[in-house]
Amino acid sequence: MQELREELVALLPRLRRFARALTRNAHDADDLVQLALERALAHAAQRRPEMQLAGWVFGILRNAWVDEQRARGRRARLFAPEESGEKVADASGSAAPEMLAVQEALERLPEEQRVVVALVLVEGLSYKEAAHIIEVPIGTVTSRLARARETLQSLLGAAGA
Amino acid sequence: MTFSDETLMAYADGELDAATRMAIEAAAAADPPLAQRIARHRALRARLHAAFEPVLEEPLPQRLLAAARGPGEDQRTHKVISLAARRQPRWSWPEWSAMAASLLVGVLLGPWLLKSAAPPAPLDVSGGRVLASGALAHALSQQLASNQPRAAPVTIGISFRAKRGGYCRTFVLHQGQSLAGLACREGPSWQVMTLAQSTASPQGAAGGYRQAASALPPAVAGTLDEYMEGEPLDAAAEAAARAHGWSP
Repeated sequence: MQELREELVALLPRLRRFARALTRNAHDADDLVQLALERALAHAAQRRPEMQLAGWVFGILRNAWVDEQRARGRRARLFAPEESGEKVADASGSAAPEMLAVQEALERLPEEQRVVVALVLVEGLSYKEAAHIIEVPIGTVTSRLARARETLQSLLGAAGA
Repeated sequence: MTFSDETLMAYADGELDAATRMAIEAAAAADPPLAQRIARHRALRARLHAAFEPVLEEPLPQRLLAAARGPGEDQRTHKVISLAARRQPRWSWPEWSAMAASLLVGVLLGPWLLKSAAPPAPLDVSGGRVLASGALAHALSQQLASNQPRAAPVTIGISFRAKRGGYCRTFVLHQGQSLAGLACREGPSWQVMTLAQSTASPQGAAGGYRQAASALPPAVAGTLDEYMEGEPLDAAAEAAARAHGWSP
């Protein structure tokens, strides 16, 4: 367990980066990381030995995010007027303008595409690793990524070329 | 030879086998538009990667280090205690779990349980269960999410029908440090099923942003699906449930 905890600490910077690619609000991103850490520690026994730690925890974080999106959708229907005012003042004030521009583009992707982009383009995982984490065939990863890239190209313009 | 955009993308992502790679490179050398398409894919990948690179350099938040290193490192990070006997009827609770719950309650909830001359404590432990009392019980029974008094000691979040029947409601207790949780109606009282110490500043003291969003820590929000049947109640259904005394 102690070893796992140390590995998780070492993985923290990447977990935070992955979460920031999923959600623009830095506070929400860290909430997600925290939730993923808690779940990983609580379910350490369920990790199959051949599973890479990073992939396993990324998967947990991604599931936590999907849960949160669902819960937020429900809350949004109840609290829409109250929450819309708060979204304006989110915690992204400290992010670099370039990161913000990219995060804004990512937010316009469907969530299933955003996850693939975060895993492959931001985290640099292979299609196979990404497919394993989100539990879909590689072909699905490829097609989601292709669609996401098309949208991102048009949103981000000349893409730094 | 023509290459689909998907193939070129996979090439830029380093996903192709050597033979295909060489075929693409040979074709691109003689075909500037093709080379340009590849460059676009590469540039996008590089841009996405570079945009988030600064996150790796940020100092790690204390609460995350504490969450990874485990309890004891930092008592102030929010902890979740599940106070419900999941998937088990209450009466078959092993004794130790009731004891463990009481211990946790003692450690984490001490400040809220202290019997004092002050207003009645909002939580009460009875037979290994944590029940809402005082202002919390009152708010759970009476307060509507759609109409919350400003500066009330309790904020009600969502109300819903529980999978096992009856109603549950989420709440945030503002008293010193915020405590967020889920309570379900059990006969005449509200049993507290989940509690998390919230890092949210009470009453949105920290600059006023994220009040409602942080009212329910993800740790509590994450457990809702386990309990919730269908969708949360809307304002009318919430009022109707209250009018019927939250009886199933």
